[in-house]
Amino acid sequence: MAKARSDRGRGDGDGIPATPAGGVMSKLTSRVRFTAMQARVGVLILLCVFFTIRSPFFFTSTNLVNVLVNGAVIGIIGSAMTLLLVARQVDVSVGSAIGFAGAVFAVFARDYGMAWGVVAAIAAAMAIAGINAVAIIKFRVNSILTTLATLVAFRGASKLVMDGRAVRVEGFRFLGRTRFEVWGIEIPVAVIVLLLVVAIFYVVMRLTKYGQQMYAIGANPQAARLAGIPLERQVGIAFVLTGATVALAAMIVVSQVGAVSPTTGERMEFLALTGVIVGGASLYGGRGSVIGTLVAILILAVLDNGLVLLQVQSFWQEVSRGVLLLGAVVFDQLGRREAEVRMDV
Amino acid sequence: MTYVTVPDAPLLDIRGLSKHYGTIRALDDVSFTLDRDEIVGLLGDNGAGKSTLVKCLAGAVIPTAGEVYLHGDRKVFSTPAEARDEGIETVYQQLALVDIFDIPANFYLGREVVRGGWRGKLGILNRRLMRKRARAAVEALPARFPNLDADIETMSGGQRQVVAISRAGFWGGRLLLLDEPTAALGVKEAAAVLEMIGAMVSSAETDMAMIVISHNMEHVWSICTRLLILRQGRLVADLPKSETTRQEVVAHITGATA
Repeated sequence: MAKARSDRGRGDGDGIPATPAGGVMSKLTSRVRFTAMQARVGVLILLCVFFTIRSPFFFTSTNLVNVLVNGAVIGIIGSAMTLLLVARQVDVSVGSAIGFAGAVFAVFARDYGMAWGVVAAIAAAMAIAGINAVAIIKFRVNSILTTLATLVAFRGASKLVMDGRAVRVEGFRFLGRTRFEVWGIEIPVAVIVLLLVVAIFYVVMRLTKYGQQMYAIGANPQAARLAGIPLERQVGIAFVLTGATVALAAMIVVSQVGAVSPTTGERMEFLALTGVIVGGASLYGGRGSVIGTLVAILILAVLDNGLVLLQVQSFWQEVSRGVLLLGAVVFDQLGRREAEVRMDV
Repeated sequence: MTYVTVPDAPLLDIRGLSKHYGTIRALDDVSFTLDRDEIVGLLGDNGAGKSTLVKCLAGAVIPTAGEVYLHGDRKVFSTPAEARDEGIETVYQQLALVDIFDIPANFYLGREVVRGGWRGKLGILNRRLMRKRARAAVEALPARFPNLDADIETMSGGQRQVVAISRAGFWGGRLLLLDEPTAALGVKEAAAVLEMIGAMVSSAETDMAMIVISHNMEHVWSICTRLLILRQGRLVADLPKSETTRQEVVAHITGATA
């Protein structure tokens, strides 16, 4: 089964060649002979080739490591976001959650020492995850609306915690600024953490009973419930895992910058969600993989980096991200059959 | 699997089963017994209470009143999993299959097998074992699947129904509940599904009974030995097929006699 799985709908999000879905897609299928995953990797390679030709600074180990560092935080929260989308959930509060956990971390580290800062950051991230999970699971509020509310509330709360002013964090270098030398290249800890997080989520989603049940919950919640899968518990676990990645991301950001400001973490929810959707996950659940998400986040990071190197006005970065997201969403919609469009949970 | 059994008790004994939604009596004081090897057709018009009755037995709906005994042992189900643990398998009208999964993954939906040792503690799936067992089960069936690895979304309505029924048969147990197994199927597909149900029962070495819901009397008639007829939540007739006619059954369904 593992072999047959690897390239199909469930894993990579789309599996175009295998699915004789009706309409536009089948017309596309007859001509297009590659999977969406291959397309993503192809785009990434093309972008790298393009920027390498256009800028002498792009294909240097220093710059490529920079690209990875820039994608690390988004990739870490994107991994958890992929798991949520697979189960037809979403968490748009992660940006504020990173800001809040970071602010709590900075204040506690300043007043009580680094160890208490770490404990407080984890507690803060878990508290937000808990609020989201209770509202969504116990009170059955839609996850977009719930997390939109916590997005706004905790942006305000983080400003309260830091009294509206940036807080410096001294002496916390490890997660954000320490580098290990591997084969002559300096690899930052943040990148190693990213790869570890992706590996863990890959195993959880592709090889475990929990992951299998999350795909079932997203693809057909009614069938999952009738089959005796504990939907509430499994979705709750996903929000807790999201909280864990938020705590990790917050500490990396604070360590990288050396300070927390009222805008720390802003728009990260958008960047992560863009990566997850471009990576092949669907808001309708049942589709997506962390590898797809990782490749998509690298595409976004390369695009940002390359446009800066080419000295393109920074507004174009935002335009290009929006276009990518729109393209991915349209692609997702084309790949679906009408019969599958069910939003009942 | 072994179950608690009381000698000479019927396989299924339902006493005074009721389900009220506010003032609406979806199921009203229904009692009957069922023996092993019986295939019972449950007939009735829309809203007669057929689905409610099946859902009560399957643990998907909790009855307002009444008792359910299996082999003489009182059972109370509050979840579908509890009913399944007692050997009651259900095939729902709206197919409870996951489109993006293949046949083995659907067979083991909610009952996934993990590996032994430390991998099992981490919840790592044993896909090979599940696939092997599902293949063996599928090969024993009269229906042929072109490809065990094909995802459900690539299959026709009839094939999906056969997969759903096969899954219920795969887990065996004591009682099989089929809710409208031929609804939404073409004539040819419905015939294939009925043939498959018949073959499953005649080949079963287990002491299984089956309740088939349908509002298509022809389909029920071809496979059943006994007919139960519900009207407005009440059991209005309980007839062996050999002692009744289609006209009489239709009359009971519509309420032309009483």
